[in-house]
Amino acid sequence: MMEKMIIGRYVPADSMLHRMDPRSKLILVFLFVCVIFLANNSWTYAILVIYTLVMAGFSKIPARFLIGGLKPVLWLVIFTFFLHLFLTKEGEVILDLGLFKIYEEGLRQGIFISLRFFLLILITSLLTLTTTPIEITDGLERLLGPLKKVKFPVHELALMMSIALRFIPTLMQETDKIMKAQTARGVEYSSGPIKERLKAIVPLLIPLFISSFKRAEELAVAMEARGYRGGEGRTKYRQLSWSKVDTGMLLFLMAVTALLVVFRG
Amino acid sequence: MKKFSVKALVSIGMLSSISYVLMLLNFPVPPFPNFLMVDFSDIPALIAALIFGPAAGVLVELFKNIMDYFMTGSATGVPVGHIANFVAGILFVLPAYYIYTKLKTSKGMTLALVIATVVMSIVMSVLNYYVIMPAYTLFLNMPAMAAPELKTMIVTGILPFNIFKGLLISLVFMLLFSRMSTWISRQQYKSESI
Repeated sequence: MMEKMIIGRYVPADSMLHRMDPRSKLILVFLFVCVIFLANNSWTYAILVIYTLVMAGFSKIPARFLIGGLKPVLWLVIFTFFLHLFLTKEGEVILDLGLFKIYEEGLRQGIFISLRFFLLILITSLLTLTTTPIEITDGLERLLGPLKKVKFPVHELALMMSIALRFIPTLMQETDKIMKAQTARGVEYSSGPIKERLKAIVPLLIPLFISSFKRAEELAVAMEARGYRGGEGRTKYRQLSWSKVDTGMLLFLMAVTALLVVFRG
Repeated sequence: MKKFSVKALVSIGMLSSISYVLMLLNFPVPPFPNFLMVDFSDIPALIAALIFGPAAGVLVELFKNIMDYFMTGSATGVPVGHIANFVAGILFVLPAYYIYTKLKTSKGMTLALVIATVVMSIVMSVLNYYVIMPAYTLFLNMPAMAAPELKTMIVTGILPFNIFKGLLISLVFMLLFSRMSTWISRQQYKSESI
């Protein structure tokens, strides 16, 4: 768990999607989320499935990671599938169970909605599996850059976000350590009456707050000592570069969108 | 939004981190269904608001939800659940902050938290009825719930749950506050003197 959190869900590999600019990946995911609502018949869903599979192929991510991402929503998908199956009453009856009748339209809707779910999760998973959270933050900072003109503190927000991401693993480790220390003193976190468990939270939170403020102070002093004075004229260690692949991928999605518009019923 | 010092920027980042970690340590509470989970991620946001002002509290809630969206994604594509969590968070933190700054006592903090709980639960019920549930059914393409059905679900399920959750957070925060209030006011003093 701890190791996993350090890099979010990022799976290192050398693939086309890994090398893409985080900005173009963010734009692609955003557009895909909009475009997916265009699909409304078998042809359009088939196009989207093929597109998603092609992208998954480009990513060179082992299938088990992608399937792992689908697991948390599996119940929600099954629930909505059956909701559609039993509540839609259009088209011909294809199965008569006495109490329920399953209609053609219900089955169709159920399958489409489940597919839409899976595709959305797969595409967003592809983003987080091929991009580190820090890269995503960098990408967002650059994409929101124009808002600086209206005094929107883009740089400050991105800085806070990267610090938050950077310290998740450290703080998790610390939480774990404090929990173990308190457990050794006889505190129960996972069992016992709820009142006792609530009381047990307090000696966990206090050291966590105090130590993180100490750390924040040290980090702030270190930053100022190295001449940090906000985003103005700051250069970056990690440079983002927009390549031909990025433009190509955007054009590819546009072509897919055009196909969707043509084939949608 | 007033300019934050570097110390404040870094501290808000850290508090968002704590908030996210606490969100992962969520747990269901027996009488309520399993998908309604309680977590203490609003406590760091409250502390941020008390030390660095209301905008800091809002930022902690914002970062917590953005990070969770990056890490887990959302089934609806548009992160309806995360937006709802964000709104609920600020509806709890801001009333508590403004009432406490008027009263400035430990009793005042209790009162502030109770009022914040009531405000959060009522506004969230209204939002659930008019915005959140319809948004869910829209994005999941489900047949919309009938109005009376939705009303009973909110009144018997979501409203009591939010009140319970708010009171639980208030209780833990008071336990924390009684021990940390001097530390918090010292941090406040420090952050103002920079």
